[in-house]
Amino acid sequence: MVNMDAYQVLTAVHIALIYAVLAVPLTLSYKTTKIINFVHINFITYGAYAAVLLYTFLGIDNVFVAIAAAFVIGGAMSVIDNVTVFEPLSRRGANVVILMIASMGLWIFYKYLMYSVLDVLSRVAKANLVSVLLRFETLPRVVVNGMPITSAFLTAAITAAVLALMLYFILEKTAVGKAIRAIADNPTLAEISGIPRGRVVNVMWFMAGGMAAVGGVLWAIFAIATPEVGDTLILQVFAIAVIGGLTSLSRTALGAFIIAFAENLGMAFLNQVFGVPTSFKPFITFSTLLIVIIAFPPLGAGGGLPYRFLRKRR
Amino acid sequence: MEMVGQNLKVVVAAIITLIIGIGIGYGISLATSTGGQAPSPPTSAGGTTTVTVTKTVTPSAGSETKVYKIGFTLPLSGELSSVGKMWEQVAKMAIDDLNKEAQAYGFNVKFQAVILDDATQDEKALQNVQTFAQQGIKVVVGPAASSQVKAVKSYADSNHIVIISPSSTAPTLAIPNDYIFRTVGSDALQAKVLAALVEHEGVKKVVVFYRNDEYGNAFAEFFKKYFEESGGTALLQSYTTGLSDYSSEVNALAQKVQSSGAEAVVLISFDTDGANILSHAANNPVLSKVRWFSSEGVHGASELLQPSLAKFLISVKFMGTRPQTPHNVLYEQFAKRFKKMTGSDPPVFSENLYDAVMLAGWAILRAGTYDGAAIKDALPKVAAHYYGPSGWTYLDENGDKAFQQYAIWSIKQVNGKYEFSDIGVYQGGAVTLTSQPG
Repeated sequence: MVNMDAYQVLTAVHIALIYAVLAVPLTLSYKTTKIINFVHINFITYGAYAAVLLYTFLGIDNVFVAIAAAFVIGGAMSVIDNVTVFEPLSRRGANVVILMIASMGLWIFYKYLMYSVLDVLSRVAKANLVSVLLRFETLPRVVVNGMPITSAFLTAAITAAVLALMLYFILEKTAVGKAIRAIADNPTLAEISGIPRGRVVNVMWFMAGGMAAVGGVLWAIFAIATPEVGDTLILQVFAIAVIGGLTSLSRTALGAFIIAFAENLGMAFLNQVFGVPTSFKPFITFSTLLIVIIAFPPLGAGGGLPYRFLRKRR
Repeated sequence: MEMVGQNLKVVVAAIITLIIGIGIGYGISLATSTGGQAPSPPTSAGGTTTVTVTKTVTPSAGSETKVYKIGFTLPLSGELSSVGKMWEQVAKMAIDDLNKEAQAYGFNVKFQAVILDDATQDEKALQNVQTFAQQGIKVVVGPAASSQVKAVKSYADSNHIVIISPSSTAPTLAIPNDYIFRTVGSDALQAKVLAALVEHEGVKKVVVFYRNDEYGNAFAEFFKKYFEESGGTALLQSYTTGLSDYSSEVNALAQKVQSSGAEAVVLISFDTDGANILSHAANNPVLSKVRWFSSEGVHGASELLQPSLAKFLISVKFMGTRPQTPHNVLYEQFAKRFKKMTGSDPPVFSENLYDAVMLAGWAILRAGTYDGAAIKDALPKVAAHYYGPSGWTYLDENGDKAFQQYAIWSIKQVNGKYEFSDIGVYQGGAVTLTSQPG
């Protein structure tokens, strides 16, 4: 008899790792630029499709090649958005609300661009590209105590660990990372002290876009890739980032575990003990979000934006 | 002056973008319309005249070809996108054939397809039907899902728009005297066939894992009824549709299978959700050890042919039922043409869609006028005398296909490639398997 509870914990950890890879870059980009970036949705989708298209057209079934490609594509999209939209708008004095609305425009643009391109590519490949099941066996499938650990799980764990180390190293040990943190703390002061803000922000955007795209690949090899994959994940991703107060990367990662465990184990518990239907899942996600926000005022576990304003006023 | 210069730049940029956009759109439309037939001559924006026919049929001098538009609301994205994309090809093929046939009979008409994507969503399907109504379109083929048909029903009834769904099977929509027609049989029978199949395989206790929507609920209920009538036990477990992932639902299912000791799972799903569920089941220590059965919903989904998933399906002897008329030469010809065009076998309901288009066209011609009420009256009369790839399309008093036969399908490995394969039939109340899955 297999212990299904242990299996459920495993699934929850898997989802938590992917959520962390998706949400941490959102916190990073928000805290550096204060832009609520809806293109984050497209990073996820385009990352997933980088893997899909590489596999369909070039037959590349090495998951790490797909991850590298997704990182470059997501990063490049992100930098292009900044250079062509966010930067020019801020130079003309656009505030964060205008930037957010501009990012919504980009989101819609990218989404339907994806649909149009896929329509043409589907015809070329004579294959269905709007719903693709990707399963790479780059890493072996391991069975521990009758508990199957899938290739996708190992990939997610290794990738998340590498990205976490990379982020830590770049932000804490390099000049660019210190500059990013300085800009996040006080952009004006950072600029006055000679930090080339434009370039540093582009580096940050590249990392943020790239990471989110990698999350898209991890999701695609776990669940399924559709042009809506980013859209269906974004509520959870925002909820997690808000738990991290949109400021703390480590607490965002913690938030990923809180949400994933609440969604999966909490749901399973309610389902088995009280017979609550699994359709209550989104309800649980957002109750968790509300509970965390209320328990750790003013905004999330990281002490978010309003908290900073309060501090400034004092 | 600075500002004016900038504004000017923006305007110029906008115009250039627009021109590029039009260019791309025109290019794509050319590229896509060359599949099989010559590019149609450009029509005016209103799109009613301009086509002059130089055919052997010789229409009376000076008369103009009458253009009839047929609306299509298809699931080109969303949970049925996997087959929806292929149905789009079927729709185009059917319209071509219809035009050739109608001209061969001497009708100076041209049918034009207006295809919209409804994303497998109820609201979008309704929006599409409303859009068609504004364009004066009176006949709509689709939508695919029963819940979508339900969503458009009252609008179609009150605005006299004939809806012909090729794939809605929920028995709850079998309603007489409405504007909804279905070129496929109701699931009241398919549920019985599936119950017979599960019983034939010697399984006594199953968990039915089904979509919590019009289609899934009705199917599960009927399945339970028939399966328990013949002495089996069916436990019901539904799941919410439209999620990005179903891993926690699948885990809940595994708990239920484990605690109840069920021998099999009966999956009532669409494509994207079904593929996701099956891929999680393949990794699940409990669910990968039980048998799996399904309805027609997930048939044709290319995701199922992904090697690791296909291997799992073969290992659990996955079997399903689907509406299909066996020993039908017209279907075999249709399937051959489709395969030549797209490289794959026609997915479920392709033939029903093809016949839906044919019936729509002939009903318009029989009505003699492009009027919803007249077409509605003509449709059953045309259908009674039509036999196509989906078999005899005779409609019952509810406007549904009256005589539906069913095939048993599974996944097979042929020459190293995985494909969908029909492995048996349901005839005379019994399941006959001609081969085993694998």
